[in-house]
Amino acid sequence: MEALLHVQQLNKIYGQGTQQFHALKDVSFTMAQGEFVGVMGSSGAGKSTLLNLLATIDSPTSGDIFIDGTNIASMNHDALADFRRDHLGFIFQDYNLLDSLTVRENILLPLAIAKKPAAVIQKKVDEIATLFGIETLLHKYPYEISGGQKQRTAASRALVTEPKLIFADEPTGALDSKSATDLLQSFVRLNEEKSSTIMMVTHDAYAASFCRRIVFIQDGQLATEIFKGTKTRKQFFEVILQTLAEVSGDLHDVI
Amino acid sequence: MTLFSLARKNVLRNIKSYGLYIGSMIFSIVIYFTFVTLKYSDDIAVLTKTDTRINGIMSASSVVLLFFVAIFIFYSNSFFMKKRKKEVALYSLLGVRKRKIGMMLFFENLMIGLLALMIGIVIGFLLSKGLLTVLVQLMGYDVVANFVLSTEAVQNTVMVFIILFIITSLQGYRVIYQFSLIDLFHAAKKGEAMPKASALYAVMGVTLLAIAYYLSLTNIFTSELWKLMGYLTVPIVVIALTILGTFLLFNSVTVYALTMLKNMRNWSWKGLNVLTTAQLLYRIRANAKSLTIIAILSATTITAGGAVYSLYYMTGENTKATNPHTFMWIGEDIDMPSDNLRYDAHVTYGQIDVTVEQAMYRYSVIRRSDYEALAKLQQIDAVQGEYVLIDAFYNDDFSVVKAGTTLQQNDRAFTIDAIASQQVMNGALGMAMLVVPDAQFTAMQATATAHMYSYEDEKNEKELSATLEQQLPESANFTSYPRDYAAGLAGAGSLLFVGSFLGLVFLTATGSIIYFKVLTEAEEDRAKYEALRKMGVRKQMMLKTISAQVGFMFGLPLLAGLAHGAAALSAFGQLFMMDVTKPVLVWMAIYVAVYALYYVFTVWNFYKLTAERGKAL
Ligand SMILES: Nc1ncnc2c1ncn2[C@@H]1O[C@H](COP(=O)(O)OP(=O)(O)O)[C@@H](O)[C@H]1O
Ligand SMILES: [Mg+2]
Repeated sequence: MEALLHVQQLNKIYGQGTQQFHALKDVSFTMAQGEFVGVMGSSGAGKSTLLNLLATIDSPTSGDIFIDGTNIASMNHDALADFRRDHLGFIFQDYNLLDSLTVRENILLPLAIAKKPAAVIQKKVDEIATLFGIETLLHKYPYEISGGQKQRTAASRALVTEPKLIFADEPTGALDSKSATDLLQSFVRLNEEKSSTIMMVTHDAYAASFCRRIVFIQDGQLATEIFKGTKTRKQFFEVILQTLAEVSGDLHDVI
Repeated sequence: MTLFSLARKNVLRNIKSYGLYIGSMIFSIVIYFTFVTLKYSDDIAVLTKTDTRINGIMSASSVVLLFFVAIFIFYSNSFFMKKRKKEVALYSLLGVRKRKIGMMLFFENLMIGLLALMIGIVIGFLLSKGLLTVLVQLMGYDVVANFVLSTEAVQNTVMVFIILFIITSLQGYRVIYQFSLIDLFHAAKKGEAMPKASALYAVMGVTLLAIAYYLSLTNIFTSELWKLMGYLTVPIVVIALTILGTFLLFNSVTVYALTMLKNMRNWSWKGLNVLTTAQLLYRIRANAKSLTIIAILSATTITAGGAVYSLYYMTGENTKATNPHTFMWIGEDIDMPSDNLRYDAHVTYGQIDVTVEQAMYRYSVIRRSDYEALAKLQQIDAVQGEYVLIDAFYNDDFSVVKAGTTLQQNDRAFTIDAIASQQVMNGALGMAMLVVPDAQFTAMQATATAHMYSYEDEKNEKELSATLEQQLPESANFTSYPRDYAAGLAGAGSLLFVGSFLGLVFLTATGSIIYFKVLTEAEEDRAKYEALRKMGVRKQMMLKTISAQVGFMFGLPLLAGLAHGAAALSAFGQLFMMDVTKPVLVWMAIYVAVYALYYVFTVWNFYKLTAERGKAL
């Protein structure tokens, strides 16, 4: 497998002078096409920081990020915007749906931004909505649907452009377990059937157990990583809990 | 912890998010204080002595201003309270009693108010000083703006605003009791349904406006409707219809148009068009009231400013009509300076009394050849005919002597062939003048000779005018363009002074209302734009949707204001029988230009606001 994402010696320092905070320290890793990677770590470990850097929303203090062989540091403002539009998809904990738009309009927005023809837009939106089981909600406004449905809408919006790379920051954080499982299973299906590459930040061991590989971050540094391999989801869940305990030394702190 | 210190801590901690609210309060205080300072200032008192109308206008204006300021304050306060409901709910949840929270909000609001009052008065003081200097100079008055802080103005402002603050503070107190805890928590999140267009209201809105326009554009002198409804009721009816019609227009017609646009998928599903229309639709209902107020304010400003500026502008035209030559007098000629002299003419004229249907009329008389020579000097076309009557106040409906009327002079009679309305000689002498064939003139007896001199740049020949006035006897009937022009300007100028000040205030006020409104909404929508940025929306595309959204908010009331103003001004022109097109267009252009500056400023700040958070994240 070729490397889709390659990160080298990434550092992120927030603030200045005595206020400085070293949020990421020399983070390096590689992610191949078609992987489903989980990022775990306690609160404040630097998970969101890492994700924002990879998603080109924020820039690193030092280090390089290569996506599909391109160093994103070499791109200007507009090129980055185009890059995000064409290759990346995001799903966030608080959905970030636009409340003045219907579910359909929310989902089609990335396609409209990419100036796709209306007929194509119509077809793609219907497809992805069916995949996430929200095809009957398309005419509704965000305030008329439940949290799980909102998150699935947000996921549909992130995936409708069929991005190379999908980033999700605690996508199940605000969901009940049923909705969370639904969403996670959609991710697995996307990963297996469409071989989408997914990186998901979570601090929930249950959510993480759907991934195929998990990297642990502790105090801004990569601590360790584990692979699902041939284990069942249940077995993997146990391994995750164990690892968490080893990494942080305190199980209760994390769950 | 005492209530007071809790409130104080609250303000200090949240000082940033309070910024917009405090800003809008300071703004209204500055505007109001500036105005009352001008009203009470000694310099203005000098002016008001010469013209009592200014005093009246100033007093009336301050009432209008007060009304406006009150709306502005109430509006921003309720907006602010909406944002704070969640915080209130949190206190409540933590077990703080409602009474205590209410008191806290009350004190907090009062404290913000006092802070704003102090800052506002300082800024207002500086501003009024600058403003007065500029305006006084603009009017050509030789008064120096020497300034002291007017205690009357401070007292007046402090009193008015303390009352306003107490009322708004009570409003905040009420909020606590009106809502249950669950409501408070959902205050910000509660979704608002998309508005649906009501056909009935849309049709009604258009109809009301059509009636109002019809009423104001019909000829006042001949209209049966005006006669039927009474000349005082019609303007009131027109104003009421306009306000209601405008509101319905904004409330329904725009919803129609936007919904239609949004449903055109080939257009709307391109770039951020869908978002632009959706955002506007989402906001339109809540904004219809404000947009109407702004439209009416704009219309008032445009109309009042246009009318005042027209009067000012017409001063020159009117003076020119009655004084076609720079100077004119009767009797002995004088040696005149030849610098800048355009021409001089010396014409003998006579005087006759004629009767028409038993009524006596007195006309001055000149020869046909002299008339043609004078017309040529003034570059106007001489009216053809054997006997031509020049009547400066000629009106087809009211004038008795018309073309075809026979005049009787003792035993002689002659018939008027044509009427001319442009004077060829200055003043009263030229206003009613009979042009007769050269051969007939001798029979009517020449009485005197008029000497006429015309100079380049005649407005500025004030010194020569004064010298001549001293030199010439009373009986010379000296008329002077520069003298009359300056007198007319002084009258219209003081009107223009107040007019332009109020225009300025209302213009900044309307601009600022939209600015604050748009920016408060932008603040609420920050997360949306952040999400768009993450989706890969380019700078240009973001600027485009922001410009379009802000453009709608600015453009709609401006267009309505311009249309209403144009209708009202055409009625005004009709009433005073003036062609006001040129001055009105100039005034509107100025208005639109300043308004456009506000627009650009707002778009830019909106854009900056949405771009900012991106860096921090
Ligand atoms: N914009 C910022 N400015 C300063 N410090 C920040 C900023 N964003 C995050 N941090 C700090 O960096 C650390 C890592 O944050 P984050 O990546 O959000 O953690 P998490 O793993 O919980 O997602 C935290 O200690 C946080 O306080
Ligand atoms: Mg986080």
